[in-house]
Amino acid sequence: MAPQPAPQPLASKERSLFTQVVKNYENKQYKKGLKAADQILRKNPDHGDTIAMKALIINSQGNTDEAFALAKIALKNSMKSHVCWHVYGLLYRSAKNFEEAIKAYKFALKLEPESQQIQKDLALLQMQMRDYQGYVQSRRAILQQRTSWRQNWTALAIAQHLAGDLVNAERTLTTFEDTLKGVPPKTDIEHAEAVLYKNAIIAEMGDIGRALEHLDAAAKNNPDRTSVMELRAKYLLTLGRNEEAAKAYQALLARNPEYRAYFEGLEAALGLDRSDIKAMKDLYTDYASQNPRGDAARRIPLDFLEGDDFREAADHYLQHMLRKGIPSTFANIKALYANTAKKDTILGLVDSYASDGPTPMVNGSAEKQANGDAELFGPSVRYFLAQHYNYYLSRDLKRAMKYVDELLDLAPKSVDYHMTKARIWKHYGNAQKAAETMEKARTLDDRDRYINTKSAKYHLRNNDNGAAIKNMSLFTRNEAPGGPLGDLHDMQCIWYITEDGESYVRQGKLGLALKRFASISSIFDIWQEDQFDFHSFSLRKGQIRAYVDMIRWEDHLRDHPFFSRAAIAAAQVYVKLYDRPDLAHGSLSNGVNGAKMDSAERKKAEKKARKEREKQEKAEAERKDAKKPAAVDQNGEPKKEDKDPNGELLLQTPEPLLEAMKYVNHLLENSPKNIHAQQLAFEVFIRRRKFLLALRTLIASHTISPSDPTLHEQIFRFQHSLSRLSEPLPPKTMEVINAEFNDLLPASTGLDKHNDDFLQKHHDSAPHVQACLKVRQMLDPSSSEKAQQDLIRTLALESCSLEDAVRGLEILEEWKPEPKYKNDYIAAAHERWPEASAFVSKKQD
Amino acid sequence: MAEPQPSSVQEGMDPEGPPAPASAEDRKAAAAMSSLETRGGDEEAETKKSNNKQIDQEALVKAISRLELADKAAKVAAGEKSQGEKEKEEREKRAKVKVDQADVSLLVDELDLNKVKATELLKAHEGDAVKAMKAFVRASA
Repeated sequence: MAPQPAPQPLASKERSLFTQVVKNYENKQYKKGLKAADQILRKNPDHGDTIAMKALIINSQGNTDEAFALAKIALKNSMKSHVCWHVYGLLYRSAKNFEEAIKAYKFALKLEPESQQIQKDLALLQMQMRDYQGYVQSRRAILQQRTSWRQNWTALAIAQHLAGDLVNAERTLTTFEDTLKGVPPKTDIEHAEAVLYKNAIIAEMGDIGRALEHLDAAAKNNPDRTSVMELRAKYLLTLGRNEEAAKAYQALLARNPEYRAYFEGLEAALGLDRSDIKAMKDLYTDYASQNPRGDAARRIPLDFLEGDDFREAADHYLQHMLRKGIPSTFANIKALYANTAKKDTILGLVDSYASDGPTPMVNGSAEKQANGDAELFGPSVRYFLAQHYNYYLSRDLKRAMKYVDELLDLAPKSVDYHMTKARIWKHYGNAQKAAETMEKARTLDDRDRYINTKSAKYHLRNNDNGAAIKNMSLFTRNEAPGGPLGDLHDMQCIWYITEDGESYVRQGKLGLALKRFASISSIFDIWQEDQFDFHSFSLRKGQIRAYVDMIRWEDHLRDHPFFSRAAIAAAQVYVKLYDRPDLAHGSLSNGVNGAKMDSAERKKAEKKARKEREKQEKAEAERKDAKKPAAVDQNGEPKKEDKDPNGELLLQTPEPLLEAMKYVNHLLENSPKNIHAQQLAFEVFIRRRKFLLALRTLIASHTISPSDPTLHEQIFRFQHSLSRLSEPLPPKTMEVINAEFNDLLPASTGLDKHNDDFLQKHHDSAPHVQACLKVRQMLDPSSSEKAQQDLIRTLALESCSLEDAVRGLEILEEWKPEPKYKNDYIAAAHERWPEASAFVSKKQD
Repeated sequence: MAEPQPSSVQEGMDPEGPPAPASAEDRKAAAAMSSLETRGGDEEAETKKSNNKQIDQEALVKAISRLELADKAAKVAAGEKSQGEKEKEEREKRAKVKVDQADVSLLVDELDLNKVKATELLKAHEGDAVKAMKAFVRASA
């Protein structure tokens, strides 16, 4: 591993010094390395390779700009040195400019085609960039250099597999297998994995028959028994060999009688239809009697039974669970509530338990013996009812509260009961009482991480970030840089960071909110980056099936709901910032003041904001100039210093909409089926006057949900903006809009009529009525008073939820209503939701 | 200034390590991982040796040549088909489709595309800007 300068030969002393530099770099002895490099440069000031190594070391110390400058000098001095090009690639690689890095590696490789190191670096990057064709080539070259390594063969197969060339992938694996003299021992995990990997490739080609043959022949003794058995059962079922498939699934169920997928497989293999109640019942009764303690065989029938059969089975199941006092009984059951008849049956049963107590078991001698059961039965029934009345499909908060209070009288120290009570408060809309109650539950068991987490979340919902982080700090590593919050970032605690950000949005602390959402986004960046290590690591360990799964997961990493939630919230903040630039200056403009500014004031504020922004930018530029090499922690890694802990810099972006686009692009690419993402993208595009792109989101939303209320409003706003353009759109653009927009809002129907029709159709849904009122307000601002009255009337709609009512209040406030109407609205809402804090506190001001 | 490099020479820079670990635990994990990797390397050298007993060296030589032959055959087969098709398509497109630069900049502006993509989109729709934009607007549906 002794790199040596080719083009500019060094004297032997310097040559050994250069070796020293490389060693120092590899061992992260950066200071020593720099010293040695400088020593060489004193004698050979133009020595390209040394300068390149110096650049590499400086980069590792955290000074990227200087490193790039040096590397360029190095290249100028020795254009033909593969070391210089390799270093150049490594610098780009560390700056995450992978495309440039690939180019540099390729150049280095041209100069030094035999270099395995460069070849390997190139291959890893090609994989990271999903350049499968390039990867296949690189892998083939690497294999040719070292044919006796199994992992090189496997790697080529993976490359071919991912590039879609299944036939050659299989052939590569087979070719290697043929060179083996005997069957490798059972302990050879790499072989076992490769066999199953090959099997997966065969199955992916669609040739299930051959996959089964291969599995039976080659995977008999595979240590991954579960996978082999599952695959076998699946193949048999696909091939229609039902009898054998049934046996295979029975064997699997004997190993794990709680796994639903096995039951589904068995049902299919036996040719059972879920309407064939008798056969289905027999099947599950059989399994239930085989596993007296099992749950799945008893719970699954509740999904397909109906009527009296259901009542009987549910009765049996519920009594069994409630006698034992299993706290998760309701959670196990609630999925059935989607079916109203079943919901009513269950409530009827549990109510009868509450009044009559448990039915004495006639035939269940095993269950009769437990005398203690009766003690558990009463409380579990009430606990079940409390949760029942707290559940959104069967909500009656007063009753829920009654049951939970009774329980708390019996057991004042129960964490579970307090937790349920806190949830009831949450549903009442009283975040403060919810947080207090949850906090009380936490103090009853302060070593329980679950309840601690819950309590922190409820504090955040109550906008009490301090209390939340204090709770969290009981379980974090508080000496981490940045304290508990820093540790939560290190541990990538997404839920906390998201809730924290959303809480700051509610409080109007937009800088902090953006900061949190940016953290979420960067955590996803890290996840993307993290796969890099596994391109070589997984191969070395031979765990290729998991590796391929991971690669495929990474390909759609950002369609995760965690990402879209934070991304939507972040982009919403940027939209808000665009509408109200004054918000970028935190304290001087909290909500109310800003809303009341007239246009002249607003312009003034904007001007002021702009000036301050410029000042900030100048200061920032100066700071950059004066920037010293980043501080380094004890391990020699550059220390990250947060120069903007409150997100002020994020707030002061001159182009909030372009910042928003960073999120919007990810959302549209990865979650195009998420209507909230589309609607948010509309808000950004319409403000950027990108009418075609805005139209595109409308069409997409329309495909997802044609009668969505927000979509209805956005369609009208689109029309509204079109009709008041300051300068006409390009004729071709207009042509497209005219052709495509008509489907959404037919020009033949009048605007008012279209809106009224929509209102007529959805008159009993609060969000729809709200949307129509907003549209009416836009079409005819003089109708404001009527719209305000109508808005108050939505509160009386049966389906109007607390969230709808809160949103309604926001809409009303946007209209700058007469105080009378606002008070009326709040009074009406307060009457319907007496406990909700949203309508209590505001009533006073 | 280029001089051939002595054949005994091997360059040996390791690629950049993984990104700076954020916390002590991360660092530990990273250290553990990299030590795994280096050890893995040694182990490999070992297992390689032992494997070598199992692997038939001659067979390996044959295998690699077979692989190459197969690849060549596959390439020729695939090349004739896909390349032929592609080139034909390309040629047809390129020859027929003339793209107006004004349309390209219109698409760049209206659809947030870069020039290359805008040109591609136009070419895919016979250089008709309205058609191209219509297709784009509908594409997400």
